[in-house]
Amino acid sequence: MAQRHVKIRSKVGLHARPAALFVQAAARAPMDVTVAKLGGNPVNAKSILAVLGMDARHGEEIVITAEGESADQVLDELEAAVNVEAGDA
Amino acid sequence: MTRVLAPVSGQVVGLAGVPDPVFAQAMVGPGTAVDPERGRGEAIAPVSGKVVKMHPHAYVVVDGEGHGVLVHLGIDTVQLKGRGFELLATEGEEVVAGQPLVRWNPAEIEAGGRSPVTAVVALDAAAEALSEVRESGRVEKGTGLFSWH
Repeated sequence: MAQRHVKIRSKVGLHARPAALFVQAAARAPMDVTVAKLGGNPVNAKSILAVLGMDARHGEEIVITAEGESADQVLDELEAAVNVEAGDA
Repeated sequence: MTRVLAPVSGQVVGLAGVPDPVFAQAMVGPGTAVDPERGRGEAIAPVSGKVVKMHPHAYVVVDGEGHGVLVHLGIDTVQLKGRGFELLATEGEEVVAGQPLVRWNPAEIEAGGRSPVTAVVALDAAAEALSEVRESGRVEKGTGLFSWH
């Protein structure tokens, strides 16, 4: 099992636009992927409803978890997706 | 089957009419959008169910079938940090379709240089799950925008 801690740099948090990009990236992963706020319950990273419901805000840390051979690569992509728009949000 | 109601009155423009590529390309999910009539008004719950997310500029209501509908009031309105929006419901509350959830003024949003176009999106839905999707014409608040099977 591989885990990645990522700080939300987007000023708007992981909301509609960044959340959609994140969930699309997660949906491409061949394995189950979960995401949680630090200390919170993990939710399905492939569900936009779950990710919006998690409500990760600017400055908060999330933990993304994936399992399997390509887990590290998947986590790299998801980490990039979380903050893809951080500069211009 | 979930009947999703228009949260605002106005001109239906479809998701393609949302000036934001992530919504316009249905990356958030399938649905449609309404260019709201200008002037002070109340955006309503599109379905009956639980308000699982209540931001000033956006809310999500999940119905008894587990269908979550996102209503996003205007584009880049998150930047307003709630200015110009008055919340009429709280997160976790059970609401009925048609119940006012947010008081706002699309004309003010527009005057501030942002689009008030309101996206209504079926979350975690395949495009094929929606039918009778309105893409154009005038719509009255509380009348059907699409069905979700």
